[in-house]
Amino acid sequence: MIHQGEITAPLLDVRNLRTEFATDGGTVRAVDDASFSIMPGERIAVVGESGSGKSAMAMSILRLLVYPGRVVAGDVLLEGTNIAQLSERQLNQLRGRSVGTVFQDPMSSLDPVMRISKQMTAPIMRNLGMNYKEAHAEAVEWLRKVGIPDPERRITAFPFEMSGGMRQRVMIAMALSCRPKLLIADEPTTALDVTIQAQIVEILKKLTSEANTAMMFITHDLGLVARLADKVAVMYAGRIVEFATVEEIFAAPCHPYTQSLLRTIPSPTALNTSRLPQIPGLPPDMKKAIQGCAFRERCRAATDICAREAPALTDRGASHVAACWQPEGLGSSPIDAQPDRALRRNDGPFRDRVIVEINNLNKHFVSSSFLSRTKRNVIRAVNGVSLRVRQGETLGIVGESGCGKSTLARLLLGLEKPSSGEIFTEGLTQMVFQDPASSFNPKMRIRSIIEEPLLVKRKGDWRTRQARVEELVKLVGLDEAHLDRFPGQLSGGQLQRIAVARALALEPSVVVADEPTSALDVSVRAQIINLLADLKQELGVAFVFISHDLLTVQYISDRIAVMYLGEVVEYGPADLVFNSPSHPYTKALIDAVPIPDPAREAKRASAVLKGELPSPLSEISGCTFATRCPLATEQCRTEKPKLRQHRKSREAACHYAK
Amino acid sequence: MSNTAITPPERADITRFFPVKTVMALRRNRFLSNSKMIGALLILAPLGLLILCAPLLPLQAPLQTNLMAMMQPPSLEHPFGTDRMGRDIFSRTLEGVKISLQVGLSVAALALVVGMLLGTLAGFFGGLIDRAIMVIVDIFMAFPSLLLAIGLIAVMGTGLVPVVMAIAIADIPRFIRLQRSLVLGLRTRAYIDAARTVHASQFWLMSRHIVPNSLAPMLVAASISAANAILVEASLSFLGLGIMPPAPSLGNLIREGQLYMEQAWWISTLPGVVILLIAISFHFLSDGMRQALDPRSRK
Repeated sequence: MIHQGEITAPLLDVRNLRTEFATDGGTVRAVDDASFSIMPGERIAVVGESGSGKSAMAMSILRLLVYPGRVVAGDVLLEGTNIAQLSERQLNQLRGRSVGTVFQDPMSSLDPVMRISKQMTAPIMRNLGMNYKEAHAEAVEWLRKVGIPDPERRITAFPFEMSGGMRQRVMIAMALSCRPKLLIADEPTTALDVTIQAQIVEILKKLTSEANTAMMFITHDLGLVARLADKVAVMYAGRIVEFATVEEIFAAPCHPYTQSLLRTIPSPTALNTSRLPQIPGLPPDMKKAIQGCAFRERCRAATDICAREAPALTDRGASHVAACWQPEGLGSSPIDAQPDRALRRNDGPFRDRVIVEINNLNKHFVSSSFLSRTKRNVIRAVNGVSLRVRQGETLGIVGESGCGKSTLARLLLGLEKPSSGEIFTEGLTQMVFQDPASSFNPKMRIRSIIEEPLLVKRKGDWRTRQARVEELVKLVGLDEAHLDRFPGQLSGGQLQRIAVARALALEPSVVVADEPTSALDVSVRAQIINLLADLKQELGVAFVFISHDLLTVQYISDRIAVMYLGEVVEYGPADLVFNSPSHPYTKALIDAVPIPDPAREAKRASAVLKGELPSPLSEISGCTFATRCPLATEQCRTEKPKLRQHRKSREAACHYAK
Repeated sequence: MSNTAITPPERADITRFFPVKTVMALRRNRFLSNSKMIGALLILAPLGLLILCAPLLPLQAPLQTNLMAMMQPPSLEHPFGTDRMGRDIFSRTLEGVKISLQVGLSVAALALVVGMLLGTLAGFFGGLIDRAIMVIVDIFMAFPSLLLAIGLIAVMGTGLVPVVMAIAIADIPRFIRLQRSLVLGLRTRAYIDAARTVHASQFWLMSRHIVPNSLAPMLVAASISAANAILVEASLSFLGLGIMPPAPSLGNLIREGQLYMEQAWWISTLPGVVILLIAISFHFLSDGMRQALDPRSRK
């Protein structure tokens, strides 16, 4: 129905697919009446939050659903064959030969006790009828194509000898080596760092175009969609709510959910002066039957009809459908009723009072080898870091995994002892953790959780403590009803609010937030970012905001410190660092971030940072970034650049920063 | 998924039948749907009641002999029959069950408390404390537990208290190991770090966060340990090392009866059946507890 008038037959045709999961709480309709088709060579992105049914849909297409999930209605036609009618054996052939798959977690999708060569050659031999020697040569060739250096040697490696990025390359090589007509990739780059993600995306793009392989990839990252997709299916609460070409989705979205999502992403260009628009509320409880439109409770354009009847997909253009009763969706009205408050920045003259001062801080982890106690491996997690945090400012710390940002946070909090160097802090330092699920004792009620710091410090009697707990829970935008629940009964976004409340209980001067939004759904992230921005203004608390999400860091921070291999390589005001980076690594990081704008993505150079992070064990005499730096010279390889001020209020550790 | 497109099944609206979602209601539902727990209680509750009411029942006292009624088969007056000295097997069995339950529960409680204490210390502090505790644990674990118990009784003598002590000591190393491994997993949780950032004391961390979160699996282990202790006590008494005659215990009842197996089968067999029932019910209890405490194990 979407491809009316097209001449070629679709490669994959999904019709009215409905998938259900039987749970204790009731039947969850994970995929509800999903219909779409993929033409040969087309790249389709499926976008949605966790629980929106995108993975369940992919699994249903592959017939990989396991109990308690099952497809209850609809057809999946692959090249005209109904996959529901295939035997398990035919299906196995199809999974390798016609459809390749790449899953999210590269750590668990390869067999840990089997060499790469064996894992790769077996499907090639079976599906392409090659002998071992040919299959081996083929596998080496594919490893070369996905950018694995020295593939002849690396093919004999075990998965644990490879990094996450390398393993994901192997997965892609495996999936494509049998020359499938369709590649299904479920969040293929979510577990990877931005620079590695950029490399993988380029590989996927190049290889699928070369072989005219169609691709269905699942993601929650709209930037990635803009970079990679031809068409986009937006899912919400199990339904496809909008389906259109990538240009249409970004230029003229019709469904309020799509419109809202696009507006909640911080813009990479302008200095953000007002708060992020946020989608109010939470996604619906999928265990309950949904009456009417599932998005209506979070939608400002909702009317009576939205509550009565679920909208069907209707045409909004040549190849654009959306499921909304309102012709314009939200139109130009704001997505929430929050007042558009100005985001006050500490721009111009920063407040001068320094409340955290870090001088030449080192944290080295020493592991002695099993056989000889004298030979030691030293990991320089934090290496000569000097930073300052001023009262009421937000310092953003960015860098890829393994750059030492989390160790730095733990040092700031006193959870680790520094190997050398000093940290001076004025007042208390508190923390908001990344994973809301493990941040709270599951046996304690929210009330006791927020009260705990007060109780430990013996602040006030029972009555004053309870008053403070109630004050705190309101401060973070929840109400007293939440206090008597257990952590398991709250959503991720609510839990992060509770984490903020607990961190603020003792009126700290600094709150360290380590990836506070990365475990949250896109539509909830903006709520937490706004909360932190508001609290900074109201309470004058300083934040240290650690994240790999550059757009968010740039939005919320007054200053940014960029870390690479345990060192700060650039430091300065957020908008300046982001818009005119001085250090080549900062520039590479920013270039690697996918921007949710297809027009800009198309124009951007596909020049991505080559190589991977060097092993933290290796001793580097010169600049730590020289191995990957496009500008590196002999001086960089021998002489270590110091972090120095090269412009007003800006510092960079590069010989060539001007 | 089956091989053809399927029509949607009839959907029962579950929320209609269980509208209340309080924690207590959920726990009650989970308990009522837990058939193993109910099975265990159906055996253990009447047994407990019988033991408590034994003095009120018209039964011959466990130690009273009656030379007029020796080796009598089960009857209304003597439900389990009598032994060669005319003692009532039923009342002796009840006395034996009482001892069995005492041994089982005391061993479980002792092993739980000591195991949690030492396991928490070893797992939480690590380093020298951990190594010292674990060396001792490993030495104890090198012996089969029944053999260890026999050796300890040889040192401490027979009777209820030494038997409990011996079985508990043989069992404690396993509890220490389990608790230590649980603590190792728990101590890196973010909520422990959160409490550390406000300088909560070590005791606070252990008592507020570590122990409550390791209690559930430890309780399951304790209920298995209780079943095991009852069997070990019966074995020891059977070997003449546990509860000494004339005081009855299920083990020595079987031992006394085995000589007369051909003339009076009931003397050994009926107490044996009772041991079986108790052991099964404790295993049911532990399975049921695991089900109730760990939602993931439910199918």
